[in-house]
Amino acid sequence: MAETWFLATVWIGLALLATLLSIWFRIATALSEIVVGTVAQMVLGAVLGASLGAGDSWIKFLSGTGAILLTFLAGAELDPTIFRQKWKEATALGLLSFLAPFFGCAAAAHWLLGWNATASWLAGVALSTTSVAVVYAVMLEFGLNKTEFGKTLLAACFVTDLGTVVALGLIFAPFTLRTLIFAGVGTAVFLVLPWITIRFFGKYGGRPSELEAKYLLLLLFGLGGLAAWAESEAVLPAYLIGMVLAGTVGKDHALIRRLRTLTFGLLTPFYFIRAGSLVSVPALGAAPMIFVVLLLVKMVAKFIAVYPATRFFESPRQEGMYSTMLMSTGLTFGSIAAIFGLNKGIIDEGQYSYLVAAVIASAVVPTLIANKFFLPRHLLRSGAGRTIVIPPQQPVQTPGGTP
Amino acid sequence: MIRKLLVAYDASPQSEKAFDFAVGIAAKYGAVLIVCSVATLPEPPVSVEVSAVLDHAEEFYTKHFTKLATRAAAEGITPRFELKVGHPAEQIILLAEEEKVQMIAMGHRGNTLVEKWMLGSVCRRVINYANCTVSVVR
Repeated sequence: MAETWFLATVWIGLALLATLLSIWFRIATALSEIVVGTVAQMVLGAVLGASLGAGDSWIKFLSGTGAILLTFLAGAELDPTIFRQKWKEATALGLLSFLAPFFGCAAAAHWLLGWNATASWLAGVALSTTSVAVVYAVMLEFGLNKTEFGKTLLAACFVTDLGTVVALGLIFAPFTLRTLIFAGVGTAVFLVLPWITIRFFGKYGGRPSELEAKYLLLLLFGLGGLAAWAESEAVLPAYLIGMVLAGTVGKDHALIRRLRTLTFGLLTPFYFIRAGSLVSVPALGAAPMIFVVLLLVKMVAKFIAVYPATRFFESPRQEGMYSTMLMSTGLTFGSIAAIFGLNKGIIDEGQYSYLVAAVIASAVVPTLIANKFFLPRHLLRSGAGRTIVIPPQQPVQTPGGTP
Repeated sequence: MIRKLLVAYDASPQSEKAFDFAVGIAAKYGAVLIVCSVATLPEPPVSVEVSAVLDHAEEFYTKHFTKLATRAAAEGITPRFELKVGHPAEQIILLAEEEKVQMIAMGHRGNTLVEKWMLGSVCRRVINYANCTVSVVR
């Protein structure tokens, strides 16, 4: 057991180091953890001939749980009211934004890079995503989250990611009776879940025993297990549960914050450091142009799909290009897809490394280009952010004197 | 004559000094005081982390704003509090332009080498690009 504790100490130490680096360099913790994982594995392998133990079952479990909870929380960020208002436009835009890079990147992997069919489909899935977070952050900065176009774009990002997760969950699963049982049970659960959850939490929730967290973990593990049994992927039900509970659990800020503590404090470091540790730097160094090709194809495919749609919504040229670039970003779901492919033996270590590198680059490069060349500066003046109203305060009483 | 001024606030000791300085100016001229804080998101923004950062920023600054409001009340000043999202210097300058303030007051953080290399000093950027008087409180 001592060995397990020491190994856990190493992983948490790396997580702490990654967090410090993210604070110093103001970069996302996830990105920092992936890089730290890659470097730590490389250094340990080269200097000590040891490994980080990414294959140990308990690390795989914590890492998988991290992916499930992260996906659930991402789904729970959906705003159901906006989605109901804009579902037609959002679905059209979101599906285009998913389908174009999905087919484009799969074709490029197959025809340009010579990957086999299943590996190519996986490349398509991993690079089809859009980072909701990047789009949301920019919307907030510009105040675009209040505009009709901004709301549609944001809702469309959820549809794109849903396309990615559904593709990941269904394309690589053999269509058997198990698939039907998984789909049937899943659908029934998703339909009744909002109704049951609100009543169950109303009756038993709000106590220190954290009943809500246990209830959600029960659902996530149960449906995740069912998905794995059907040879699908556990993040598929997790994202859907998040989306269907967005109007109930998603609005319970206190609960979401407690889940975030569990997720960021313990689980996602294992997920992202493991994702980084599986990257083969020698493979990347041997053929760096492969990930550049994958990134370029993703960006071009997103441009072909999203830019005309932005023009259809009467977005000015520059804003349309800006939105297109933002929708070319991605990190979380791309890395989940790549790890899934590696775990299932769909892709090898080299292909995984190229995909993760392309996914990381897609989180950074499109935003840099967008901010450098297409930033609609006039929108910065639209009063983004918010006014915090503090009620009138009593003056501080100073001892022995009048305030 | 100063009718409206903005103080950049990040809860550091230097920004506390800048706030006290700004309250003094606002009391002297009977000016409107706007307190501006900026939540900076990590790059690249990642799912869930963005919401966590924003929630934290709102809770953190609401707590500090309440204390500032109490301190300002002692001088008969009722500040307005704005929480922006983005790059601090950019957001401070844009708010100052929008509100047509006559002065920006801010503290100087004395950034570490890493921060200076990565971002440059917020203070230096505001001094370079603001269209109004900038007072740096040390």
